Amino acid sequence: MQVFRLCLKILKKQIPSMLIYIIIFLAIALIMSSATANEQQQDNSFTRAKSNMALISEENTPLIDGFKQELGKVANFVELPDDHEALQDALYFRSVSYILRVPEGFTESFMQGENVQLEKTIVPNSISNTYIDLCIDQYFNTARLYVQQMENISQESLVQYLKSDLAVGASVELKTVSDQSVNHNYANYYFNYLSYSLLSVLILGMAALMLVFYDSELKRRNACSPLSSKSVNLQFILAILVFTVLSCLIMVTFCILFNFKNSLNLNTVYFIINSFVFAVCGAGISFLIGNLVKSHNAIPAISNVVTLGLCFISGVFVPLELLGNTAIKIASFTPTYWFVKANNQIAELTQFGFADVEPIFSSMLIQIGFALAFFAAALVVNKKRRFD
Amino acid sequence: MIIEVNNLVKRYGDLTAVDHLSLAVNDGEVFGLLGPNGSGKTTTINCILSLLEYDQGEIEIFGQPMTPESYNIKRDIGIVMQNVAVYNELTVYENIDYFCGLYIPNNKLRKKLVLEAIDFVGLDEYSKFYPKKLSGGLLRRLNIACGIAHKPKLIILDEPTVAVDPQSRNKILEGILELNRQGATIIYTSHYMEEVEHICSRIMILDKGKAIATGTNGELKAMINMGEKITVQSNYMSAEQLAKISQLPNIVSAEHNSPLLVIKSSRGTNNLETVLDFIKKERIQHSKIYSELPTLNDVFLELTGKELRD
Repeated sequence: MQVFRLCLKILKKQIPSMLIYIIIFLAIALIMSSATANEQQQDNSFTRAKSNMALISEENTPLIDGFKQELGKVANFVELPDDHEALQDALYFRSVSYILRVPEGFTESFMQGENVQLEKTIVPNSISNTYIDLCIDQYFNTARLYVQQMENISQESLVQYLKSDLAVGASVELKTVSDQSVNHNYANYYFNYLSYSLLSVLILGMAALMLVFYDSELKRRNACSPLSSKSVNLQFILAILVFTVLSCLIMVTFCILFNFKNSLNLNTVYFIINSFVFAVCGAGISFLIGNLVKSHNAIPAISNVVTLGLCFISGVFVPLELLGNTAIKIASFTPTYWFVKANNQIAELTQFGFADVEPIFSSMLIQIGFALAFFAAALVVNKKRRFD
Repeated sequence: MIIEVNNLVKRYGDLTAVDHLSLAVNDGEVFGLLGPNGSGKTTTINCILSLLEYDQGEIEIFGQPMTPESYNIKRDIGIVMQNVAVYNELTVYENIDYFCGLYIPNNKLRKKLVLEAIDFVGLDEYSKFYPKKLSGGLLRRLNIACGIAHKPKLIILDEPTVAVDPQSRNKILEGILELNRQGATIIYTSHYMEEVEHICSRIMILDKGKAIATGTNGELKAMINMGEKITVQSNYMSAEQLAKISQLPNIVSAEHNSPLLVIKSSRGTNNLETVLDFIKKERIQHSKIYSELPTLNDVFLELTGKELRD
């Protein structure tokens, strides 16, 4: 096993440069770990949000006072001068998103059952304004019912009725189809990002190894030895295999360590299988680059160009949803796209029937197809190089 | 017979690098392949080692045909390439251990052989050094150690002293003779005639892929008509005196480029005495006089019409 040991020694020499990628990767993974832990807490709780609004009332009646108290449950009141320009500025700079004006004589007309209107000025397309609208409609529609049904009802009584009616609320229980005790966001992000680090490490290691191993003088020298070329090639392939599996294993292990409570499930198994499939594909890319590269100095540059290019276009750094259709079409010709796609599908998995996992296996098969294509291309380049 | 090559032909397109070459290397000898750069020495070695496919001919080593799959034959061959072939990622010790390990699977025996090889080439102080830290001479010694550590029966050294300082060169040449004394048969290629004269028991002179002469040092020199070369340090000499010297018995030519008078003689006896008598008689003022026997360069010059160094 001289050749196998030699390959491992050469790879060992590359550890410092590979370590840079692994350390950066693990640091980002740790940061992501704490960030997703907070995200998980937020997902499981509900807090009513309040938006900022200005209420300008030109009259002061018990009905409006009651309305103000009720509105206070969904809005924070901001004091603004009753000046057209000041109100416009407040909306423009988003210090308020809703300005409501109660015109003089509103209460009197309302109590007589007349059709009256409040004046509102809002920031367009603001979702929180709908919530305020609902609250206003609910208050005055309920009040109108009392006014229509109870003749001569006083404003004080009306406000009392409204207060007790509107105090009744429905209890909200948050339920989802998936088990929320397990969060795959972290694993999803970790395994997507793993494609960048794993690919970088594989290219750095294998290109360096092949540059040494395919040096013509050393190759000729080895050919003079009693070791058969079959044995030499087998030992070389074994070394590549061990290196690929070890690199993948180290990175996967850290994911399980950082995210242990969310890792004991079938999704993690699928994530790991997908990672190993991608590692095989990464080995194919590295093997091809190793055959093309001619100098040690060129390896880091080529590694960065290839890995960053593939990862940017395939949704590793930027989510696929944010990429344009053209970018996604181009990305579908890269293995990283199918790796990320499979990871995203695995993160969504709650059932594990054949129909559920079939798209994931399809993505994995496409990655294997890419791996075969890269290995075939590498062998062609290798043959051409030998012929030259 | 250790190596027998019959009618070997190797062509690169229109260029015939080895042209119907036949040679035989006997057990225990130091066989030299001498020739200028491009004469076909390395190509011949590569064909012998089955590193190159050849167009015609037969090669046998240890009485068996040599092929790329002749692993049993390769086990007993040590090779020192023209260009240093070592791994920059491994230390001196690790490099020798790696190459020795290709032949010797037993760890204990290998360790012993590696230490012996390090001691043999004088790299004891550098065993933990990486090749990039070694000088050219030390690197060549490492290259040799990698080739001979497994104690092969046949050692092929292809120009092992190229770009090596005189001290390392002497160490290498002495080492080769010591390996031969220990029982190894050696094939040594070089374009340095002094080295070949010094260590080889039998020499083949190559030019343009053809063997132009084979024999011992003495046998090769006996093939040519040239005798000794006499050099006289003299500042002045008349044209008449120069003409007279040229007409002396056995004298082939006499040239005077002040302060040196160079007289070339054909083979014969008492040439030096005749020249000395003439200088005394003519009262030619002189300082030093010295005489040189013909070299392999002279042999090459007479056989090919050009200098070995060209």
